[in-house]
Amino acid sequence: MQASQPAFFKQGPKPLTRFFLFSVLSICLIVGDANYQMLGPVRQQLSILLYPLQWLVTAPFELLRDTSTFLSRQAELLGENRKLHDAQLLASVNAMKLKALEDENARLRHLSSAQASQPSQLTEILYNGRDPFTARLIVDRGERANVAEGQIVVDASGVVGQVIRVQPMTSEVRLISDRNHMVPVQIERNQLRTVIYGMGRGLPLEVRNTSSNSDIKVGDTLITSGIDGLYPAGLPVAKVTKIERNTGNAFARIYCTPLAGIEQHRFLLILEANPALTPYPANASDAVAKQKKGR
Amino acid sequence: MPISRQLLRPVSNSFILFTFVLSLSINLLPWQAGLIGFAPDFVALFIIYWTLNQPRRIGVGWAFFLGLLMDVADGNILGQHALAYTVIAYLTLARQRQLAVFPFWQQAFVALGLMLAGQALMLLLRTAMGSPFPGWAYFAGSFVAAFIWPPLSNILLSHQRRPTTDEL
Repeated sequence: MQASQPAFFKQGPKPLTRFFLFSVLSICLIVGDANYQMLGPVRQQLSILLYPLQWLVTAPFELLRDTSTFLSRQAELLGENRKLHDAQLLASVNAMKLKALEDENARLRHLSSAQASQPSQLTEILYNGRDPFTARLIVDRGERANVAEGQIVVDASGVVGQVIRVQPMTSEVRLISDRNHMVPVQIERNQLRTVIYGMGRGLPLEVRNTSSNSDIKVGDTLITSGIDGLYPAGLPVAKVTKIERNTGNAFARIYCTPLAGIEQHRFLLILEANPALTPYPANASDAVAKQKKGR
Repeated sequence: MPISRQLLRPVSNSFILFTFVLSLSINLLPWQAGLIGFAPDFVALFIIYWTLNQPRRIGVGWAFFLGLLMDVADGNILGQHALAYTVIAYLTLARQRQLAVFPFWQQAFVALGLMLAGQALMLLLRTAMGSPFPGWAYFAGSFVAAFIWPPLSNILLSHQRRPTTDEL
């Protein structure tokens, strides 16, 4: 019946046909992206298309900020300079002490390969992710600046998150407060190892699966334990703010606030990736199984 | 466009493209996250506007492509916005002849419904993938969008309402 109708206006396929075509296509994309992570190249091409817009949108604000900085008063700068000079003196004294301690530590551990303090690069936040479901940041360093997936992002006071997706000129940082984001930590006071989970943007962090009688107090600082080979050991992560110990639950509910100002900064530091650890033996479990079979 | 006595001038392709680029840039503005959902989704709004007024040029395909761009910009699952915008564009097209003659305030209600439907679809998708519920403020943007629909339509139509020269 369709064919017998005269085509006054050439319209191509009907809207319904197009609708089915594109919705099936987008469902395929969703499945392909969420379950198989195989759409990286598509994303990269589209992101190049978007970069001029991102720049256009952020540039005026930066210009404004730069101008206002330029116009800040000389006296202010002088005062600040003096203060910074003093602070630097103090810091260098501390650094000397730290150097001595570091040397001692290295000797104690018989470190063969020099584990120098890690080089890192400064990056600026372009914008906060608009997606209300996740806690992400978009920063202005990408593949061109040798940023790689899995690198750790910190600020002056602690861990901020982790680079999860790299595009040619930008990259996405998943904040530690993102839901089910895990960081292996230990308590600074007594070296108790545990894992801290994010619960969502703007919500506190939580330490799960820790028995009610474990030695955690309000005010304890949690630092990275480094056992995952991803987060370097010793970075401050969070402070315990509230502990609920219910007799009904096997586990205590422990809430923490992140030490880093994860919602505040403009500049962040991307740490260089850890040197690759010895790979986990892929067939270790197989070997055990074979042994058992052999017996 | 509601029935009017005035003949409207044609819209140039570059103007449509310009509005889409503009809406994408507004959606990319860095203060978006601070408004927690109160910022309307301008890309969706313009998709509804143009499918309503230029159904032969802007349709489901454009909506899909713009949705992909939004997905990359937001860094969420590829296809989420694409699916929502595709559905919005199709629903608009299905009733386009009827909706196009409504006065602006009635169109605003339709736009509200369409944008809420799109957001509900995205919410459903993300919840199915295990994301937490982001709070009811998530839907506030659509109401803001419906509120600015009449002035926005007037501004965009003013471009087409310029009087023709008398020489003709």
